[in-house]
Amino acid sequence: MFDWLVDPKYYSWILQGLTLTVEITLFGVLLGLAIGTLLAIGDIYGGKPVKGAIAVYVEFFRGSPLFVQLFLAVYTVPAILNVPMDHALLAFLVFGLNSAAYQKGYMKGAMQTILDDQMAAGLSTGMSRGQTLRYVILPQAYRIVIPSWTNEFCSLTKSTATVAYVGLFDLVSAGMSIRMWTYQILPVWLVIGAIYLIWITGFSKLMDIIYEKKKIPGVELLMQ
Amino acid sequence: MDVGQQLIILLEGVSLTLSISIISFLVGIAIGFPLAFIRVYEREVGFVVDAYEKIFRGVPELVLMLMFYFGLGPFFPFPFNNAFFVAAFVLGLRSGANQSQIYRGAIRGVGDEQMIAGQSVGLSKWGAIWHIMAPQVFTYSTPGLGSEYALLIKDSAYAYVIGGLAEIMTQAIRIKSIPPYDVITPFVLAAILYIALTFPIAFWLDRWGNKRKQKIGL
Amino acid sequence: MTDIVMEAKNVYKTYGKSSKKADVKLVEAVKNVSLQIRKGDIKLIFGPSGSGKSTFLRCLAMLDIPDKGEIYLGDECLTKPGVDLNKARAKIGFVFQHIYLFRHLTALGNVELALRRVLKMPKEEARERAVAALAEVKVTDCANKYPAQMSGGQAQRVGIARALARNPDIILLDEPTSALDPELTGEVIDTLRDLAKEGTTMLIVSHEMPFARDVAEEMIFYDEGKIVETGPPSLFFNAPSTDRAKRFMDRIIKRTTRE
Repeated sequence: MFDWLVDPKYYSWILQGLTLTVEITLFGVLLGLAIGTLLAIGDIYGGKPVKGAIAVYVEFFRGSPLFVQLFLAVYTVPAILNVPMDHALLAFLVFGLNSAAYQKGYMKGAMQTILDDQMAAGLSTGMSRGQTLRYVILPQAYRIVIPSWTNEFCSLTKSTATVAYVGLFDLVSAGMSIRMWTYQILPVWLVIGAIYLIWITGFSKLMDIIYEKKKIPGVELLMQ
Repeated sequence: MDVGQQLIILLEGVSLTLSISIISFLVGIAIGFPLAFIRVYEREVGFVVDAYEKIFRGVPELVLMLMFYFGLGPFFPFPFNNAFFVAAFVLGLRSGANQSQIYRGAIRGVGDEQMIAGQSVGLSKWGAIWHIMAPQVFTYSTPGLGSEYALLIKDSAYAYVIGGLAEIMTQAIRIKSIPPYDVITPFVLAAILYIALTFPIAFWLDRWGNKRKQKIGL
Repeated sequence: MTDIVMEAKNVYKTYGKSSKKADVKLVEAVKNVSLQIRKGDIKLIFGPSGSGKSTFLRCLAMLDIPDKGEIYLGDECLTKPGVDLNKARAKIGFVFQHIYLFRHLTALGNVELALRRVLKMPKEEARERAVAALAEVKVTDCANKYPAQMSGGQAQRVGIARALARNPDIILLDEPTSALDPELTGEVIDTLRDLAKEGTTMLIVSHEMPFARDVAEEMIFYDEGKIVETGPPSLFFNAPSTDRAKRFMDRIIKRTTRE
């Protein structure tokens, strides 16, 4: 049942697929963090039109399935623009944009936990709002947000499985290919599932350790 | 095929989308609610709940659907050859894991004093859980449940990979697969349709939950 | 030119939430308040809780923007549009009731941050200055500690150091001891006494009456958004002119003598 595992050909497919999965995930959450931070700041300090645009953005990406967004990015956008575009690039971008919609919420929450007092303190020393955001608010917010960010990472990894359906060779695609060559269905999916499980659980554990180390003493009490 | 016709095809998918999400939500309650209380109040078996949660946090729903339908289907055709069953079952299991976490947080939020008060009037541990904690926990959880339900509506799209379930995503791809192979309208409409489904439900559940919370002073 | 360090002219500030429901909770915290502070002054504002004293202080530092009226720092009018408030605030030292240290930085980091980013001091110079400031308030042993690892009194003293390090023209202190446990207020008060001795210009909002009596040159009784009476401590502790001040002092004295 599992003897195909020893065949190096299948190994290399798994590795190839896993690599793409990891790449898309990391790119997605990091791009999401960057854009999400900007959206959070915009939502806190922006005027009505900015807040409105952000609300629409968030509602779109959080209200529809990533599966649909993926198809929109890979098929619809090039069709509308009438330009052939790289599927992989579009997929990477859509995961980033989607993640940003969720991370905006986490960043905004983290920032608002400390915003009033730390901003007042920062301004009182003569720093501008921008400086206070950069040197006081964000450094603290990034640490507060680690648990939610880890959650987002796990979520995103699971949703990358969909890229197999737009022609990219991720871990699920690897599984499909192996299944086609070995005619083993259940064992293949069990192994693929296990690989996801190990990757996600391992990464979460790592982030838990990092959170413990980088935690700001005294801040978790605020989170209640 | 014009927009109107496409819209009708997609709307036909709504009933399955909703059925999948409702059933899996209910399954999630049936699994998650007891698991949360077990995790909090019966520590020794807590690791089972942890393992369960870890699995569903760590394995993609898409993979699980492929595994159950194409992997187990041939061996146990009774439930696992039924596409609807597999979709609702997988999402139900996943939702159970998520809801278990939501209820756990709510249990902590309601507070141990309620448990102690319940036992002080003579209720047994599980009696207090059933009569005192459970109702409050449910009320406390409604906002979180709102987003979980919205998540299920969106994740119903994974059912596409099983094939044969005419929910919204499948319908959209069907439209794309027939001439004139339109890739613009079906997906734009599908996205709007999903948003139309998730927005109000999540919104009202949050609102209802917060109102009840206020009423009972949480 | 003038030795008026800061001046408030006819300042008004109202805050509150106007919600969709009918009950609008508006607090008129500052109603036509004017005040001059000269170089070397040590003035203390006191009065009932909720009277708006803290709001007035924050308006002086332009941490809250007044609805009406003018705030002057030296010759510069801060309430005019287009003024660089950050530059102005760099010349004002502010100490908060709830301390508000930057949690992710050590005591040294807290003091250095503005020195480096606002005054643009090079690293070594900022470090020296920070070390000196911490020494001045006698918390050198906290230099590498994080706020959560300090006692309230130590943290507040770091807050004072943070305000002092820039050599501001004036220091505003908003109830610096109110949030501290009683045993810890002593160290902060001693620090303030030292500062007063050195001639620092200070405006303090506080109800530490012993401190007020010993150190303040002028006391200002503030109630319901207005300055009701001003005078030296001897006035208030012996015979305040207004009824309200009299009643307040009676209650305070009763409280302190009962202890």
